[in-house]
Amino acid sequence: MATKEIIMSTTKLNKSFGVTHAVINLDITIEKGDIMGLVGENGAGKSTLIKILGGEYYLDSGQITYQNKIISWNSSAEALKKGIAIVHQHPLLVFSLNAAENIFLGKEFTQGIFLDEKKSIEESKKLVKQYPIYPELDLEKPVIEMSAGEKEVVEILKALSYNPKILILDEPTASLPKDEAESLLKLLVDLNRKKEMTMIYISHKLEETFEICNKITVMRNGENIGMLTNEHFDKNKLVKMMINQDISEFYPEKSSQIGKVLLEANHINSKVLKDVSIHVHEGEIVGLYGLIGAGMTELVESIYGLQPFQSGEIIFNQKKILHPHVDMMVHHGIYLIPADRHQYGLFPSFSVSENITIAHLFSLFPEFLLTRYKENQVATKEAEQMNLKYADINQSIKELSGGNQQKVIVARWLLKECNVLIVDDPTVGIDIGAKRDIYRILRELNSHHKGIIFISSEINEIIGMADRIYTMRRGIITAELPKDEINQENILKNIL
Amino acid sequence: MANNNGILKILKNRELLVMAFLLIIFFSITSNRFLSPSNISNVLMNISVSGILALGLALVMINGDFDLSFGSALGLLNLFILMFVDKGWNVWVMFALAIVGGILWGMLNAILVVQIKIHAFVATIATWTMCRGFIYWINGGKTFYGKYPDFMTIIGRGTVFGYIPISSIIFIGAAIIVFLLANRSKFGRYIYAVGSNADAAEYVGINSKRIRFTSYLLQGLLIGLSTVILSSKLTSGPATAGDGFQMTVIASAFLGATVFKPGLVNIGGSILGILLLSIIENGLIMLGVPFYFKYIVQGLIIIGAVSFISLKNKRSEGPAIL
Repeated sequence: MATKEIIMSTTKLNKSFGVTHAVINLDITIEKGDIMGLVGENGAGKSTLIKILGGEYYLDSGQITYQNKIISWNSSAEALKKGIAIVHQHPLLVFSLNAAENIFLGKEFTQGIFLDEKKSIEESKKLVKQYPIYPELDLEKPVIEMSAGEKEVVEILKALSYNPKILILDEPTASLPKDEAESLLKLLVDLNRKKEMTMIYISHKLEETFEICNKITVMRNGENIGMLTNEHFDKNKLVKMMINQDISEFYPEKSSQIGKVLLEANHINSKVLKDVSIHVHEGEIVGLYGLIGAGMTELVESIYGLQPFQSGEIIFNQKKILHPHVDMMVHHGIYLIPADRHQYGLFPSFSVSENITIAHLFSLFPEFLLTRYKENQVATKEAEQMNLKYADINQSIKELSGGNQQKVIVARWLLKECNVLIVDDPTVGIDIGAKRDIYRILRELNSHHKGIIFISSEINEIIGMADRIYTMRRGIITAELPKDEINQENILKNIL
Repeated sequence: MANNNGILKILKNRELLVMAFLLIIFFSITSNRFLSPSNISNVLMNISVSGILALGLALVMINGDFDLSFGSALGLLNLFILMFVDKGWNVWVMFALAIVGGILWGMLNAILVVQIKIHAFVATIATWTMCRGFIYWINGGKTFYGKYPDFMTIIGRGTVFGYIPISSIIFIGAAIIVFLLANRSKFGRYIYAVGSNADAAEYVGINSKRIRFTSYLLQGLLIGLSTVILSSKLTSGPATAGDGFQMTVIASAFLGATVFKPGLVNIGGSILGILLLSIIENGLIMLGVPFYFKYIVQGLIIIGAVSFISLKNKRSEGPAIL
């Protein structure tokens, strides 16, 4: 086989955010005409890497060679002009503008001083014809009225309008229905064959990468772990590279002592949810899995009393909770750890200690005045049990790594008796060690007859952790999978 | 070397304290009246009104809210006390009613800002303007003079042991209570929590609306209390009463945010801030500088304090106000 031309390569790339090393001494090589898969767990550094390549982040050290020249981008616009286009995981579109206006945003056609809207529609039509991913796309429809799939298509067309030499795609199918995802994959392969377009393809769906990529690079904790070429694709091998373990060893043993029903939500109807019923037993981890926007977060927030619902009931220990509200749920020992810890979890101006004690101040310290000594004592004890890595219990929470911040949020609730812990994607962006600690803590709670509702955006995690899984799609429960029916095929079948 | 570090550590985040100390030395040298007992007593009396207002504003600002209306509320309540005392109402009843009136004022702001969700700046600019309009309407733009019993001045002008103003004792008492409430009570922790991340507060079961509402009520109570001292001291109702305190008090909050908990408005900082600003104000008068220089200095101090914070700290530490 003739050696192909190297279009882009990196040597010893490094990028840190505070104490987190997102990318460490990374070397990769992309040859012209490759579709290179980039896989790894959340937080492995994939997104950081492509943002460096696309000029969105500056690198700390290292070197990028592109078309035989050492380059350093000043901005993403410069990278785009030189032929590197990124299709982001969450489309970066202006919602009030229509598809055509979004595609030509920043390079509008003008007639005198006025915008030439006709021309932009015409050019967009040409583009759609040239790249028929989704020919029925209504180019004059405002983006705000579009489905997730349509938005993704607009984002891709926008990238293609720059005629890129390297197209970088960050989980483009994550929010697409199955048939749209398939036609997208077909188009990508087509583009690659006919126009020799080089691509970097990030996906959590390993089957997809096997289908379209000719090689796959695995990242773990910011490092390049290795590359497989298509003749050596093997799922078990790949997963082992991603998590540095066999899957069976990575997750703690599943529950063997499932007790009575602890918490049930029956026939919940709300703006998003349609007649949703779930329940969790003592000693059980119940998984909720679906695509982004399928309603898992809305469901648990309804149960927790944060979102209103029109009808339905919440029953805890056989007793109906009449007006579910957060303080009522906290009173019953039902706690929620939200998905976005920065937006909904942390108090950035508080110390580690204050962040731990905040949820149970009244019950832990009945006396009128708080004393720092007592607070620190309580917080330190819990921090030790969590295996928290910190320098001083009074240090700012912002100085901790993501994983340790997440442990603080878990610790906050375990200061008092917990009956049901609801965790919404608790391991996003945290390192493997902290992940294992959190898995261990959840299973320990199980062994004390506590129930856990677990939402995850990673299919491997939900398979590894849940004793039972509800799959969701567009606000309804599509299936309930008992332990022996939990596998990737059954889950994917029910969420798409 | 170790000794050096020790001193630096003590001075860290105490820049304001050092500045106040240096200013006192400076004014003592340049003006021989500055350290006279009567002047000290005068400064202390002034601080008690603005200081109590500063405590109230800090409580509201820790939440991430704001208030611009307290100056005119002070003016209106002052007028209200004096008019009824003139009509023969009991002084103590009027003082109590003024405090109730202050709480009602806080409630009005709270309803607009917390319940109806008008931005605090907009809502309190409106209540401020309206209130000032009422004052002019009631006394026709003139200063109100009325009859009052002699003992009415005891709170505002009275002293114990010769030089310690009774109003200062009230201020110190209020300062201690508010300080403990904010920094050591659970309610206080919740105020800081709401200011730090109101969304996260909801997830741990803190009713952030209730906390913000209560803070406005407490601020109203403190506005009422400072009106009592002001009325007792002035015994007259100028149409502009309260205006002079507005910027001093606002500046104290920003200046206070540079110490103790850098980047965050905090009670200890506000107390220090108001002390420092009052000393500067008085010192300038003692040096014979025209009164309007006070406004220039206050403006510069706000800009200086906020620049200091934004250059020293990274963003998104606490309430968006800084």
